[in-house]
Amino acid sequence: MTRDEILPKVKLAFVAVLEHDNFELTDATTAEDVDGWESITHMMIISEVEKAFNIKFKLMDLMNMNNVGDLLKTIESELH
Amino acid sequence: MKFIKQLRESIENNSKQNALCVNGVFYTYQDFAIEISKIRNAINNTISSSEKLIGLVTNDDLQTYASIIALWFEGKAYVPVNPSSPIERNNQVFELTETKYVLDSSKTSIYKELNVIATSSLDEVQVSLSPKEVSDNDLAYILFTSGTTGLPKGVPITYKNVDALVNAIDHEPEFNLNTSDRCLQMFELTFDFSVVTYLFPFLAGACIYTIPKNTIKYFYIFKLIKEQRLTVLTMVPSIINYLRPYFPEINAPDVRYCSFGGGALHSDIAKEWSDCLPNCKIFNYYGPTEFTVYSGFYPYHKETHLKSHNGIIAIGTPQKDCSYLVVNENNEEVPLQVTGELCLGGPQVTPGYWKNEERNAESFFVKSENGKDVRYYKTGDLCFKDESGDFLYVGRADFQVKIRGYRVELAEIEFHAKEKSVKKVNMVALDITNKLGNAELGLAIEGESFDTEEIIEYMKTKMPDYMVPGHIRFVKEFPHSINGKIDRKKLRTYFDIN
Repeated sequence: MTRDEILPKVKLAFVAVLEHDNFELTDATTAEDVDGWESITHMMIISEVEKAFNIKFKLMDLMNMNNVGDLLKTIESELH
Repeated sequence: MKFIKQLRESIENNSKQNALCVNGVFYTYQDFAIEISKIRNAINNTISSSEKLIGLVTNDDLQTYASIIALWFEGKAYVPVNPSSPIERNNQVFELTETKYVLDSSKTSIYKELNVIATSSLDEVQVSLSPKEVSDNDLAYILFTSGTTGLPKGVPITYKNVDALVNAIDHEPEFNLNTSDRCLQMFELTFDFSVVTYLFPFLAGACIYTIPKNTIKYFYIFKLIKEQRLTVLTMVPSIINYLRPYFPEINAPDVRYCSFGGGALHSDIAKEWSDCLPNCKIFNYYGPTEFTVYSGFYPYHKETHLKSHNGIIAIGTPQKDCSYLVVNENNEEVPLQVTGELCLGGPQVTPGYWKNEERNAESFFVKSENGKDVRYYKTGDLCFKDESGDFLYVGRADFQVKIRGYRVELAEIEFHAKEKSVKKVNMVALDITNKLGNAELGLAIEGESFDTEEIIEYMKTKMPDYMVPGHIRFVKEFPHSINGKIDRKKLRTYFDIN
């Protein structure tokens, strides 16, 4: 699965948790840029993404995830 | 005041030890002493001695913690406001307390109508830690919690209250911090649980580790545990609920104490968490803001101390000088094993809600015990006492719920939602459990759906973010129970959030 295929699915997970789609996701996007994305919703988004791709993140990866780019990279490596 | 004296000694005797770690930067007790002295000097030069209640903007930095200690050494009280709460609510807090001065370490302060002491740009002075005299009933802090009428409710805590808390914890042989401890401080300073997470480490010459505001706190906590090898954790149970899917990856042998409070601790997760901390003592603390943080604890152990009711770990026994009383609706003590409202008496009980006589008449009563009058606070928590003297938590007696450890009156949310709504329809705020087992807020609105953006935006200007409902559902007609009340249980089923 390429990044271009991953991104729309990730966006769907964000929309499902945040209950709005008033944002754009790029590699540089952080919680600061998206309304409602904070500690609690982050945990829900992570679990939604895990479900969508049928993967399980490692705590060590989550610990160092700082933006959407990091998230996409981790999904890619989990899928391989 | 004993604890103030202890605090001074600890700061002086541990000058080379680390006191704080903020966002990866360490500050020693010497650095801390310098900041405290600078702030004291500014207070002395600006604020008259009769002015006792001083505002504090709770940033995550050295100056904010030094401000608390500086105010205490000056015999004053801090009135904390969270910089991420709406300014309107924060101004309300300052108006209610008639606060005229605010200590603010922000680059530019937004409190234009108050006299601001900018604590991050003060002149160098000689270190001076000698505390001023205080009397028992002088206030040490006032915290505001959610109130039913749309106005936040102030809980003033005196120096004597804090001293009694410190005395009770010092008396507990199972819990002793020392200068090599590394302690988690994950709480916002407007939340009363923060008092124990900075004060006990500072009294022991230990180091506190704070959580920067823009991080994902669950992962940051894990990072601190792992990379900084924390030894003391104090947390609300919802933290471990969120970390639960990752427990198999957590092994933290350095942690020696883990204290829980601010919400029900469930036995299944306590057992699993305990497996992650092989060398740790776990305390399940109980206590409301009105009783100066802690009133007692249950020493949980996954093999030997597992007492629980409906899957919720026992809250144990009252600590030194505190007494628990379980009462019926006439404030009469009920027998063992019978559920009633838990009431707390002793030197840690607040003098009463800030300027709220009506509420005080409802929440406090005096009982004569062995010829002595004891004043009790009614917690609103339902409990019973078992045959071996342990207290067990059953549930809440009213519509107050816990969201992320904060107490929230559902009525306050309904009040603000209805106030802004053009359509005058029934609205009910509900706590809904998400799939991770944590409570989130929902707002059910009766009738046909309409655009609620304006209502939500309005609520964001009136209440802290944790109080703004994350889920809204329209229900054509609210379900009612047999006695005609709105059936909240049934309403919850409309919120399929999992």
